[in-house]
Amino acid sequence: MPLSGTFLADLERIVGAEGLVRSAEGRLVYECDMHTFYKGAPDAVALPTRAEEVVAIVNLCRRERVPIVPRGSGTGLIGGAMAPLGGVMIGTNRMDRILEIDLTNRCATVQPGLINLSLTRAVATQGYFFAPDPSSQMVSSIGGNVATNAGGPHCLKYGITTNHVLGVELVTGTGELVRLGGKAERPGYDLVGVAVGSEGTFGIVTAATVRLLHVAEAVKTILASFTAIEDASEAVSAIIATGIVPAALEMLDAVMIRAINEGTGAGYPKDAAAVLLIELDGPAAEVEAQGERAARICWARGALEVRVARDDAERALLWKGRKEAAGAVGRLAPTYLLQDAVVPRSKLPAIMRELIAIGARHRVQIANVFHAGDGNLHPLILYDDRVPEELERAKAANEELLLACIAMGGTVTGEHGIGLDKAKNLPFQYADADLNFMYRLRRAFDPDGIMNPGKLLPSHPACGEGFRPARPRVPEGAWI
Amino acid sequence: MPAAARSIGEALVTIAGREGVQDDDRARTAAAVDGQLPRWVVRPASIDQLGRIVALAHDDGLAVVPRGGGSALELGHPPARVDVLVDLSGLDQVLEYNPDDLTITVQAGITAGTLATLLAPRRQFLALDPPGAAARTLGGITATNASGPLRARYGTMRDLLLGVRFVQADGVVTWGGSKVVKSVSGYDVPKLMVGALGTLGVLGELTLRLHPLPDAERSWLVLLASAEAAQAFIERVIASPLQPNRIEFFNDRALRSVPVEAAAAGVALSIGSVAEAVREQGERLGVMAKADGARIVPLPEGFWSRAARASTEGNGAVLHVVSLPSRLAETERAIGDAIRTAAPRGEVWISGCAGLGTFRVRVGNASAAETAVATTRLRARLMDLVGSVVIARGPAELRKAVDPWGPVETGPFALMRALKDEFDAKRVLNPGRFVGGL
Repeated sequence: MPLSGTFLADLERIVGAEGLVRSAEGRLVYECDMHTFYKGAPDAVALPTRAEEVVAIVNLCRRERVPIVPRGSGTGLIGGAMAPLGGVMIGTNRMDRILEIDLTNRCATVQPGLINLSLTRAVATQGYFFAPDPSSQMVSSIGGNVATNAGGPHCLKYGITTNHVLGVELVTGTGELVRLGGKAERPGYDLVGVAVGSEGTFGIVTAATVRLLHVAEAVKTILASFTAIEDASEAVSAIIATGIVPAALEMLDAVMIRAINEGTGAGYPKDAAAVLLIELDGPAAEVEAQGERAARICWARGALEVRVARDDAERALLWKGRKEAAGAVGRLAPTYLLQDAVVPRSKLPAIMRELIAIGARHRVQIANVFHAGDGNLHPLILYDDRVPEELERAKAANEELLLACIAMGGTVTGEHGIGLDKAKNLPFQYADADLNFMYRLRRAFDPDGIMNPGKLLPSHPACGEGFRPARPRVPEGAWI
Repeated sequence: MPAAARSIGEALVTIAGREGVQDDDRARTAAAVDGQLPRWVVRPASIDQLGRIVALAHDDGLAVVPRGGGSALELGHPPARVDVLVDLSGLDQVLEYNPDDLTITVQAGITAGTLATLLAPRRQFLALDPPGAAARTLGGITATNASGPLRARYGTMRDLLLGVRFVQADGVVTWGGSKVVKSVSGYDVPKLMVGALGTLGVLGELTLRLHPLPDAERSWLVLLASAEAAQAFIERVIASPLQPNRIEFFNDRALRSVPVEAAAAGVALSIGSVAEAVREQGERLGVMAKADGARIVPLPEGFWSRAARASTEGNGAVLHVVSLPSRLAETERAIGDAIRTAAPRGEVWISGCAGLGTFRVRVGNASAAETAVATTRLRARLMDLVGSVVIARGPAELRKAVDPWGPVETGPFALMRALKDEFDAKRVLNPGRFVGGL
């Protein structure tokens, strides 16, 4: 439904001509996030500079029942920051200031459009950093990180975004500007806790107060290669069992190693079927002792090679292959489906066997780069989009793999989020009553359903008006 | 007893069995909450029974008051109504322990002490140490968001609860979260249940993240001349490469009750790591203390449990005060002033997670009326710090004289009420006890 002239004029009054994108080509930029599969351009893009403008936009859209889609940098991987139903997109890019840095209380308050890495850069010289480190951290916004509850390689030790958000300023679906949480915790329901990761379906975050951590004294990066993925998986379990919590624990499988070796030449051993990247940080004495212990464990599990970075340059080199993984698979196939499922860490060998079987069954190649420490898989299911039924085979493999992960006690998504892409998968993991609870939770923040409609929750009877989950049986009649 | 009540009792017996339902005066008196006797004390043996009990109560407009270990019954407003007291101590099973994944799923009625014993042989633990933890149930610790000194390193239940099975106000058994250490599948429902005092759902099952026990751990006490000196020392420790797992502040009175040595203020720290790193960090801590002209003494084993006991000893009120780390000394003074002004003979024990600005305050020699005045005064003083003062323990008289939670801002409160209206419109679950009388 195209927006009326009056509506657009009202919108322009709020954000000014320079804050409004109306042209078809201008809007095209906003038609998808990094999951380019899902496309839907908004009817207009508003780029506010202040929370009050956001309030005015939400009130306007609410009055006219126009859908609102919040967007940060658009680097999400789930079809979240795109507009399947059109409507108004609110881009936070012009709200990118650091409002306060409070090192004594180890926190900062920032606007949502601030780039993740900019915050760490602003406090690095004083020895602090912002812990969530999604691979996109050079371009993704903190508002986007908060919306998707983003993770990253180092969340094994430091936790994901939610563990670092103390408070948010939120414009809810009813146009109320509310300050939830803050530097000091307050009694009441943990509204910050549920707002983080709500993918813009509760409202738009206009400011966030986040924790800053002190940089560790020492970092040690170890790269170990194995001839069998089982050996690498066992090394992962053994390292954790010995009481070490590495800052990061990443794994690459044979397909991925080949792709990387053929490309930039990270120089992984040719016979390696698995590469394990272990990073430890903390007080120097602890890192030293644990580093030796981790290396011994890798040798004991039959490692082909164990390399320890001696300085920052070597450390960067060990990470190079891992960071280029997604790009490297471009050499194997023109395109891929990216997965984000999680299995309990102890099920890694089992899921890897299953994954190879699934790939063979559907005749697709699957490359793996994943956060082994927390069982978060990132299989890339490769296909050629020029061959029509290859996509169908990739999709079938994808769904089968998700079901296998869930059957092992896992979850649909570990750090990317749901968006449009995975909403249909939620019923794999949740019963009707659970979905219905989430639907009602959303309604409390956005009773008119104007905030990012179609995302996060599936179109499912349990997520609709009037649905009541089956109630437990109570003894009949006796008490009436 | 009226016929209707008798038949509700029969329905409860049908659900929970004869042995699971008590309605005699002795049992009801023993289960009283703030002097209010429940009509029935019901002890479900399964989450299915729990669901049916709540469904029955819901249909009959009865109030359900969940109870775990019964250690935090004085938190919050006195309940508006108490009809069915649900004793969750029967739900004490371990459902799934995956040591290799550092996760465990338990029923909510298991105590933290039982869990610790079970995990010790694998050298794992649940990193939460609120006072009296051993006898407290995990459901209770979750519902009250209780924590102790270890939160300095490991956070609180919100950082450790991965999944939760709960019973909604209408009896529907519901699951939120996941059983793995990392998941963003849907809304983070577990967060909503932490600290909600069972007002959005009765907790039945919890999936928790565990941590490996450090190889070695040692503790020290740094004795300082004032709260200001303690604050300065703490700030230096936090800005240093040291990684303590506890940094706890003690005022003079709290130090005397521990007791190790007397001083105006003390900071107790523990370091857990590989043996080599513990020794090395201990040495550095010694150097830092000496540079500040402070004395440092090693602490004996058992210190932390003794300190936890001391923080809840006696029957005076306990307040949870939250401000900011940068205002430690100021907050300490404000607490002392507020209590001594209201209660001239009053005594104040203060300990707390100094690096986070959270304090546990035990009040002695003060009447309920005096403590009420002190609470109000302290809230006024701390208002500009955007902190809070919550009465964690105290007689009903005190919690009627002053709002035990303190004010909640209008905007957030409107959302909280919307949630309560959505999930418990009939006010079945713990009615009246939570913030703003929710």
